[in-house]
Amino acid sequence: MLEEIVEAINKKIPEANATLNKAEIGDSTINVDSKYILPVCKFLKTEKYFNVLQVVSTVDYLPVEEKEGQPAQEGYIEVCYILASYSKNLELILKAKLPRGSAENLPKIDSVCSLWSAANFQEREAYDMMGIDFVGHPDLRRILTSQNWEGHPLRKDYVVQEVFNGMVVNPPEKMNLPDQQFGVKNNANSMSNKNPMGM
Amino acid sequence: MSYELTPEEKSESPVKEDKIKSDILTVNMGPQHPSTHGVLRVEIKTDSEIVTEAIPHIGYLHRCFEKHAENVDFRGVLPFADRMDYLAAMNMEWGWCLAVEKLLKVEVPRRAEFIRVIVAELNRIASHLMFFGTYSIDLGAFTPFLYAFQEREFILRIFEELSGARLLYNYIWVGGVWNDINDDQLKRISSFVTRMEGEVEKYHNLVGLNKIFVERTANVGIMNEELCFDYGATGPVLRGAGVNWDLRKNRPYGIYPEFDFNIPVGTGEKGTLGDCWDRYWVRMREILESVKIIRQCLDGIESGPVMGKVSKIIKPPKAEIFLRTECPRGELGYHLITDGNKEAYRVKVKSSCFTHVSMLPAVSPGLMIADLVATIGSIDIVLGEVDR
Repeated sequence: MLEEIVEAINKKIPEANATLNKAEIGDSTINVDSKYILPVCKFLKTEKYFNVLQVVSTVDYLPVEEKEGQPAQEGYIEVCYILASYSKNLELILKAKLPRGSAENLPKIDSVCSLWSAANFQEREAYDMMGIDFVGHPDLRRILTSQNWEGHPLRKDYVVQEVFNGMVVNPPEKMNLPDQQFGVKNNANSMSNKNPMGM
Repeated sequence: MSYELTPEEKSESPVKEDKIKSDILTVNMGPQHPSTHGVLRVEIKTDSEIVTEAIPHIGYLHRCFEKHAENVDFRGVLPFADRMDYLAAMNMEWGWCLAVEKLLKVEVPRRAEFIRVIVAELNRIASHLMFFGTYSIDLGAFTPFLYAFQEREFILRIFEELSGARLLYNYIWVGGVWNDINDDQLKRISSFVTRMEGEVEKYHNLVGLNKIFVERTANVGIMNEELCFDYGATGPVLRGAGVNWDLRKNRPYGIYPEFDFNIPVGTGEKGTLGDCWDRYWVRMREILESVKIIRQCLDGIESGPVMGKVSKIIKPPKAEIFLRTECPRGELGYHLITDGNKEAYRVKVKSSCFTHVSMLPAVSPGLMIADLVATIGSIDIVLGEVDR
């Protein structure tokens, strides 16, 4: 089923360069070029019966440094559009890769709000949690955190801000054990008894 | 919805129409408002009593479940999953366990599968009873709440015996269930479901066919099929719009294919298809279908172990999965990405309540404020799941 869809996308929009990630365990996915996400989605909606956008999920991959035998890899962010077709009973995970960008220069991708209204809240959440700028979104504000919150919590290198609106975010007397804290996995070197949050 | 003067009235009226000025007033409903079912704030722009715009503001209960799930092991996620939709915690756990089991290729014992269906359907009944009670309160009827809680109490007692907790169970585990169910409990569940059938009829006569209730809910907050697909609505909201779709039938999981039950859909009996009354009536009939499923479970339950063989440290291979289950409020999806460690690399929850809240701006223009309360009540949101 997925092979046919990849073929159809490549026939209609060859620039999108759709490829199939076949998985032995779990779900297979389709990768497309992030610049052509809007035409691909439009094609899937109008001609391939994927009339429902269920969720926009985002994944952050940190850059990997060069190790023995393993080449260095650049970090990237994956935006997964999980679509469903109710008439054909199908499900599809469509992925687009973006560079990680920086706090001032967030990665950009076209918004699909014009196709599905569901994208409105989903993309706001992706912006809030992962820091992705959806170009053409009618109302791109933070949704789950406060409007003046700093950083994007689901990024893998996220560190909680120290003070928010005059309140200490993580007072020492309320901290849990260090091994349960966020960021421990990634900031293992900065861990010390004195400073369990790496702050 | 605005009232227009007839030509005769216009000529008789001493006030020239263009001189009447109406202001747009902004009203904040919530976050501490009883009819918003939690900490939802709706910013309402009103023209006299008619809503011109309603903007939901969410996030007051945000705990970042997804970040927690990246930092604890696969078993440790379960108590956090409970706290999303705290009124249907069994269903929240089940989805997570199914996703992990699928990656691990663990086989769940037959008895555990039956117990899972029983507790999930009982929890569905409890959740719908909660909806019935609180929705009546939203519309100004207090008595039905007491009826609903009387029956819900029984379910919570059974769950307390099984798991030790009344709301947040941590009962369904990866590989099976934590605790076996005994014959005495099965017998009591059997007598409960028989009683429940009569109760639903009683509730429907008491509330559903009540003239005031029908006036308040029929033709109000219409979410039709087109709108539901546009926003990706699921569960009773989608079925209320007349769409015959239920994951338990269309993409079955667990042992649901073995059971015989129907999918109730909205009919537009009292007003328009997809109005508040349809959503209410779909939920009431879903209770009856759950009763049917539980009865078949009680007949067919097999003896045996309740826990499959799962290694002490759960380490699924590197993979990705998106798995949906049918929860009382709609479809819950876990997008789980693993990298071969004992923690998940990324978890994303597709929450039905989040989707349904996003539909409010689309249905609210033109409603009275009181009708907006009825609409919010009828989509039955739990803010724990909206904010996660």
